[in-house]
Amino acid sequence: MFETIRDAVKTALTEMDYDVSELTDTTVLGPAGLDLESLAVAELAVRIEDDFGVKFADEELPGMADLTLDEFASLVVERMGTTSAAGPAA
Amino acid sequence: MNSTAPRAVVTGIGLVTPLGTDVAEFFEALCEPRSGLVRPPEGHVAHGLIDSAGIAPDLDAAALVPRHDRSVADRFTLMAVAAADAALADAGITIGQDVDPYRVAVVAATGAGGMITFERQARASGERGAPGVSSYLYSAFLPNMATARIALKHGIRGFSSTVTTACAASAHAIAEAFRLISAGDADVVVCGGTEATLGGLTGIAGFRNARALATGWEDDPTAASRPFDSRRNGFVLGEGGGMLVVERADFADARGAAGYADLVGWGSTTDAYHLIMPNPDGSGVAACLRSAIARAGLDLADIGYVNAHGTGTKIGDMAEAAAIQQVFGPDQPAVSSTKGVTGHLLGGSGAVEAAATVLALAGGTLPPTHNLDDPDPKCDLDHVRGGARTAPVRAALSTSSAFGGHNVALVFQPPSTRLARTAAGAAGGTDHAG
Repeated sequence: MFETIRDAVKTALTEMDYDVSELTDTTVLGPAGLDLESLAVAELAVRIEDDFGVKFADEELPGMADLTLDEFASLVVERMGTTSAAGPAA
Repeated sequence: MNSTAPRAVVTGIGLVTPLGTDVAEFFEALCEPRSGLVRPPEGHVAHGLIDSAGIAPDLDAAALVPRHDRSVADRFTLMAVAAADAALADAGITIGQDVDPYRVAVVAATGAGGMITFERQARASGERGAPGVSSYLYSAFLPNMATARIALKHGIRGFSSTVTTACAASAHAIAEAFRLISAGDADVVVCGGTEATLGGLTGIAGFRNARALATGWEDDPTAASRPFDSRRNGFVLGEGGGMLVVERADFADARGAAGYADLVGWGSTTDAYHLIMPNPDGSGVAACLRSAIARAGLDLADIGYVNAHGTGTKIGDMAEAAAIQQVFGPDQPAVSSTKGVTGHLLGGSGAVEAAATVLALAGGTLPPTHNLDDPDPKCDLDHVRGGARTAPVRAALSTSSAFGGHNVALVFQPPSTRLARTAAGAAGGTDHAG
């Protein structure tokens, strides 16, 4: 599942016009790395919510910019285990 | 005009037009005249759809807006930021260093705003549903985002606004600058507007299907835009626009800046006749011109040049010619339209033509109307045609009219600043008053 989520994040970022060619598991999503700013983080979160049936609180979004790709994918896996008994929505 | 009110002077010009981004080259091309119109090349969205277009240069988003949202900045905002950057550089003003940020205003106009973005996002939503829509939709397409981006980039913290009166929008924005300066509400105003006319199929098709565009010129796209000519049959879409720096004349003097021309008055009326057709009797435009001249405290005889809206539509040119004839009577000023060279930049046209008017006044050279080979007898005016006319003038008008029935006229005079400049260069050293 981790791999699936990581690929879904990469696909979402590509569709959002970000260059993911040099993205690695340790790349930070926000200004320290890929440079997603607040609206981009919001969009990524909504896309992942739609794809995997998880929910993120608004208060969580600012902190997401500090996560690496690996950490973000792990967060989604963890969230799926606790919030979505029905499994992925897509 | 209230003689105690601060005078407003144009000290900076930035342009993005089918003729490029260089101001001196722009004015040279107008005066030759050399057309900026081409047949849309293969691969361009307008290819095969329209015969002729005024395509502005590609702009490097990386040099204009921050990295994180560069991919979503609509072309109309990139053009506005590029023009504002150039105008501020031309005026030699760094906001925060040369002027209090709260005393600087910005009014960047547009007709339609980010139509390219909206079209793209509407397609994405059609193909992929809600998940296809970017969170940046509003920060990309809203018409006020050019103003916002310019303010953000340059730290402008005074008045800001956006005018969206279609083809009169950027002339309205410049009129707003006059009001802000003369009321004492700003020391420096960055004003003008842009239109990304040629980026999306929907916008182009809307004009084409309304039969507003010139047709039958596939063999010579440079001949398609022919204001006031008997063979005119519509306007040619152009993209781009311009931004001016307008500031208090005493403020410009205090920092040793040279002025191109003073902005001394404005007029604005509404036809209230039809949503997109001008009133053919020209009464709305005539009232607008009279009001502008009166507000400037000038006589009719002072106006030596009118840079007409002159789009090349049958009825629009006739209405405007009727208005100029009515207002000036037997002593007609010289008249020309820049659209023969540039095409119609819609919301960007007022600012580009204000720049042309200012440059004509500053250099005493009046550009001709390109393609005006056989003036329509129904548009009997003192046309400048064939080549430029050397004629120092005491005052000049720039007129704009729009879908919606909006009319705007701007009045310029030679600069009251100590130092004057022309298109030929930042003359800086010329002592105008001396």
